[in-house]
Amino acid sequence: MNTKIYIVLIEDEKNICNFISTTLTAQGYKVSTAPNAKVGISLITSGCPDLILLDLGLPDMDGINVIREIRTWASIPIIVISARTQEKEKVLALDTGADDYITKPFGPSELMARIRTALRHSNSLHTDSLLTQRPYRAGDLVIDFEKRLVTLEGAPVHLTQIEFKIVSLLAQNSGKVITYDSIISKVWGPYADDNNRILRVNMANIRRKLEKNPAEPHYIFTEIGIGYRMAEEG
Amino acid sequence: MIHFFDFFSSKNSTFHSLPPEISEERRPWRNFLLTLFLLILATALSFLYFNISQNSANVALLYILALVLIARGTDGYFWGIFASLIGVVCVNFLFTYPYMALNFTLAGYPVTFLGMLAISFITSASTTYTKRQIQMLAERERLLVEAEKEKMRANLLRAISHDLRTPLTSIIGSGSSYLENGAFLNEGQKKELVRQIYEDSNWLLNMVENLLSVTRIQDGASNVNKSYESVEEVVAEAVLRLKKRLPDARIKVQVPEELIMLPMDAILIEQVLINLLENAVLHSKSQLPISCFVVRENDFVIFHVRDYGIGIAQERLQTIFDGTPYTGNTSADSSRGMGIGLSICKTIITAHKGQIGVSPCKQGTDFYFSLPDDTGHGEESNAKDIKFH
Repeated sequence: MNTKIYIVLIEDEKNICNFISTTLTAQGYKVSTAPNAKVGISLITSGCPDLILLDLGLPDMDGINVIREIRTWASIPIIVISARTQEKEKVLALDTGADDYITKPFGPSELMARIRTALRHSNSLHTDSLLTQRPYRAGDLVIDFEKRLVTLEGAPVHLTQIEFKIVSLLAQNSGKVITYDSIISKVWGPYADDNNRILRVNMANIRRKLEKNPAEPHYIFTEIGIGYRMAEEG
Repeated sequence: MIHFFDFFSSKNSTFHSLPPEISEERRPWRNFLLTLFLLILATALSFLYFNISQNSANVALLYILALVLIARGTDGYFWGIFASLIGVVCVNFLFTYPYMALNFTLAGYPVTFLGMLAISFITSASTTYTKRQIQMLAERERLLVEAEKEKMRANLLRAISHDLRTPLTSIIGSGSSYLENGAFLNEGQKKELVRQIYEDSNWLLNMVENLLSVTRIQDGASNVNKSYESVEEVVAEAVLRLKKRLPDARIKVQVPEELIMLPMDAILIEQVLINLLENAVLHSKSQLPISCFVVRENDFVIFHVRDYGIGIAQERLQTIFDGTPYTGNTSADSSRGMGIGLSICKTIITAHKGQIGVSPCKQGTDFYFSLPDDTGHGEESNAKDIKFH
């Protein structure tokens, strides 16, 4: 038997805990659950899971602190579970080191997709990142990082330097949300103005070049108040 | 003068234990300092004047002027009367023969004393009265606003309890029927029950999100957390989220070629769009895809949600945004949720200083709302908000 992927779930709400662990077990994952941060951290340190699902609102400790603590010694992918209307918290969690977030309420299929994405990214990190060499493909869009070439339905799309930087950053992290701040600091440098209007303008231009209808995007999605997410490959 | 200060500083500690006048409690120091300042000023001016002209008659006038100002500027009667006592003592002590000594046996002195007391008393009384009047008016104004808000809240509550009962009944019914009669049901029937629970709880979720969005608007009208957001991103996300919930929805979206950035609370505007789109998809029985488009008109950006369905009765249009449950002759289900959803839309748009409206078309209905576009103005001042709110 091959070993199952091991997931630690830290969530204090019992019903949600049940629902998630039932879904995950049914999908062939091995799950341990913890009702609070203390138990969760000890599970993580003893078991070294492949992925962590973390609720931000825990009874004994702020979820953000859990992320901080784990990030001091491990790069295990962390997916944050949060309620809607807390954009600031989500951004903080992502900037602290969480890999992705999922908003309550969510369905099993969305959760599974997020878990697969996070695992894929962590695998590509371990295998010395061949992802950046391989072209990104989603629908009719192909991004060849080596040749710096973007094609849509086979026809090359002309992007400016900055636009290409943004698109390739999002594509290399496809399926994950990238915060405004992290895009700005990676594209314009750490000392760039944190005014994200310039980013919006560039995104609008990219959208007009890549999407048939900018109001019905297929490749680059907005997470309002947080950042952007590129469609999964496939 | 030294006595003066001694007098004040020794009495100082007892001032706070005095029974508080209307709002004296809130700012005893301000009253004390004002009184002290005006009395010292009057004394200094009197000294100056007295040294030049050796005439003590106008000294009393200077003190009276100070008294009037103190009575006007402080709260309640206490400081005016207190100042008049000090003033009388000062005039006696400093400016009447024998100088630097108290002598209350001078001719006419009781008249001066009573005069100053009366002036300060009357001024204090009249200003205190006016202040109370103003306070009362402000209070009444506040109560009126509060009552208006309370009315809105009550309307909302009524609409909610009306609208929540149906899906809850269905969830509870389906759940208990599954639990109690599970053994007698076939696979298809079970699935149907669970599907109903799923659908109705989804609907409840939407309602809760609406209610949550109301809590984002604090203090009624003019207080939303605005930042510059790109219109196309907000529209795109609204459509995407709706399609996640209603995968069969047919929506045609169109935004202007130019990038429009508007100050708004994007989550709230998204909620408005979702509500309007959802109503159109679920209730209009539209023949063609719902059309959602954005146009710029002078200083406003207008969002339209247009359906090509059965339309809405004229008498219903008048009160459609009021949040009152509709009790017309259409089936209860067709109006389910529209009441709250639309009244929340109105609250949100009003808080953005925009306008929301509806106009019947030849076929179907056009719901629209406008948001003010202040591009070019206020961009600098909002720069700090742009990051993210």
